[in-house]
Amino acid sequence: MPLGALYPDAIELLERAGVDVSPLRDGSRKLIFTAPDGTVFITTRPSDVPTYVEAGSADIGIVGRDVINERHPDVYELLDLEFGACRMAYATADGVDPTSEIIARLGVLRVATKYPAVAEAHFLATGRQVELVKVNGSVELGPLVGLADGIVDLVATGRTLRENGLVEREHIFDSSARLIANRVSHKLRAEEIDALTARLAQAVAAESR
Amino acid sequence: MNVLMSDCVHSVHTLNVSQTDPQISAVGALPNGARDVLPIEAAELRAVEDALRAAFSRYGYREVRTPVIEFAHHLERAESGGLDRAYRLFDESGRVLVLRPDMTIPVSRLIATRFVDHPGPIRVAYTGPSFRVPQPGKPVASEVRNAGAELVGADGPEADAEIVLVLWEALRDAGLSQARIGLSDVSVTAAVLEGLGVPDQIRERLSRAAEARDFVAWRTEAAQFVCPEPQAELLAGLPAMRGHTDVLARIAEVVPFAREACARMTRLLELLAQEGLHDAVLVDLGILRDWKYYSGLVIEAYASGAALPVAQGGRYDGLASRFGTSRPAVGFSIEVESLHRAITDGARARDLEFGIVLVGGLDEQLTLSARIRAAGIVVIGLAAGDSRGEALAEAEGWRFVGVQDAGGLRILDRADGTSFVSARPEEDLSSRR
Repeated sequence: MPLGALYPDAIELLERAGVDVSPLRDGSRKLIFTAPDGTVFITTRPSDVPTYVEAGSADIGIVGRDVINERHPDVYELLDLEFGACRMAYATADGVDPTSEIIARLGVLRVATKYPAVAEAHFLATGRQVELVKVNGSVELGPLVGLADGIVDLVATGRTLRENGLVEREHIFDSSARLIANRVSHKLRAEEIDALTARLAQAVAAESR
Repeated sequence: MNVLMSDCVHSVHTLNVSQTDPQISAVGALPNGARDVLPIEAAELRAVEDALRAAFSRYGYREVRTPVIEFAHHLERAESGGLDRAYRLFDESGRVLVLRPDMTIPVSRLIATRFVDHPGPIRVAYTGPSFRVPQPGKPVASEVRNAGAELVGADGPEADAEIVLVLWEALRDAGLSQARIGLSDVSVTAAVLEGLGVPDQIRERLSRAAEARDFVAWRTEAAQFVCPEPQAELLAGLPAMRGHTDVLARIAEVVPFAREACARMTRLLELLAQEGLHDAVLVDLGILRDWKYYSGLVIEAYASGAALPVAQGGRYDGLASRFGTSRPAVGFSIEVESLHRAITDGARARDLEFGIVLVGGLDEQLTLSARIRAAGIVVIGLAAGDSRGEALAEAEGWRFVGVQDAGGLRILDRADGTSFVSARPEEDLSSRR
């Protein structure tokens, strides 16, 4: 279970799919919760979800596509859960987009991001050299204080960008929450995982209708 | 777990030394992904490999060995991009060499070039290490021991069934009680795409989604291809289809073009069911890998306690032709360390080893040592007067410690903590087995 922005929606979707999520609602600071039916919920930072699933510590996990694209974990991506919708984007300060001018005159673009692998792949694929500055929070600061020319970050409503005088320049990919499964659990617990996936797919479809 | 505790005894010794000598602690560091194997694990790994080898040879798979270093361009011929994570080096005339990154391709090369006159079918087996540069941030070893078998020059579901059966028996004999074998067939998938007339461009993208095990991307790409129901639904859900012969019956019904491929796999499943493997086998069309490499059956074996499949394999009829001889081939490769880990997961306490640490066994008691060894009992010799007898027995897990006493050999039995004086130790020890 990813703590943070996806957490409430993840709980709600699981509940609509008939999973007993009552232990997750008790507001405790525990990291592991066991439901009466024996289901164990492990809560962790979103970026660690693929690590636990890939290592088999968890059979299945819920995580944003952004984390999957950054980490490329060796797991099955089973279902688009459709909540937590947002997009990965490249943004620079308001005004004229300085990107092509910087590439032409300096040859290399400096980009601040929490997603170095995603950013590097995007600029490589578009034939531009990039120098990445890895930051852990408040990426929007980068262009404002001269740390970087632009940022690559997740954008939900665009409000944070606007309030910090940044403009979205390039759309990289759309993200939303995904259901992932460990390669071995997906086979050893095939029947259980397929049943849960089907219930979640129904719940997702009912929501979007 | 006792296994781990005994290993700790060794590590503690190293630690004590390294604290006093910074040079040794630097020497103790190994390249990324490399590791040492200590005696208990080494013995267990050997037992696992012995069991695997015995299973292979029951079916007439004869052992071959290939060199650890090969010419990079030979292996690249077989698998473009497959050498991305290989260790490279140069020979004396500047040619690029690699440490073999897997065993299947070198063994295919060996069969294609050294068995030219063999009437076929050829059955070979191998055990040995392969090497891959570990990916940063992932707990993957740079050196992996593989054990596998290849059946070359035999086509059809009958040959496929034998390979699956050999794999199953090898895993069982090595001690894996709860293996599950996942089977897929790229020719079924290819026939569905061909039969529906999916254009190459979409097929390429579907292939990439399948390799990434990304069913969401598969469904998105499949939706680009417009076709009527129930074909559209089948295509969208193809990699998520699993079960047994029912999966193949459904595909053959919706896409008649795939009938032949489905019939081949159904026959394989019938053969396996006859051998009692019905419940152990899972047909799962999500097990798709590089379509350029595999041409038919794809095999994975799973064990609880291992995060990745403990064995992988399949049919690659086109591989040998890249080395000049065209012959159908099917085989598998087991990762020995990951199998060992799955077997020892939740292991019970280890028994004491049946052997005696004999103080004086190195010098004054040579005749006695020889007599005890002749009775088939391990003797670990120490010089007379050496006070480390019990400590050594504890560190290495030996059951007995013998010290010369006035009336004979005083023997401590560490299994129950008792001690006794023996005039004929070889007999008294044997009776305690």
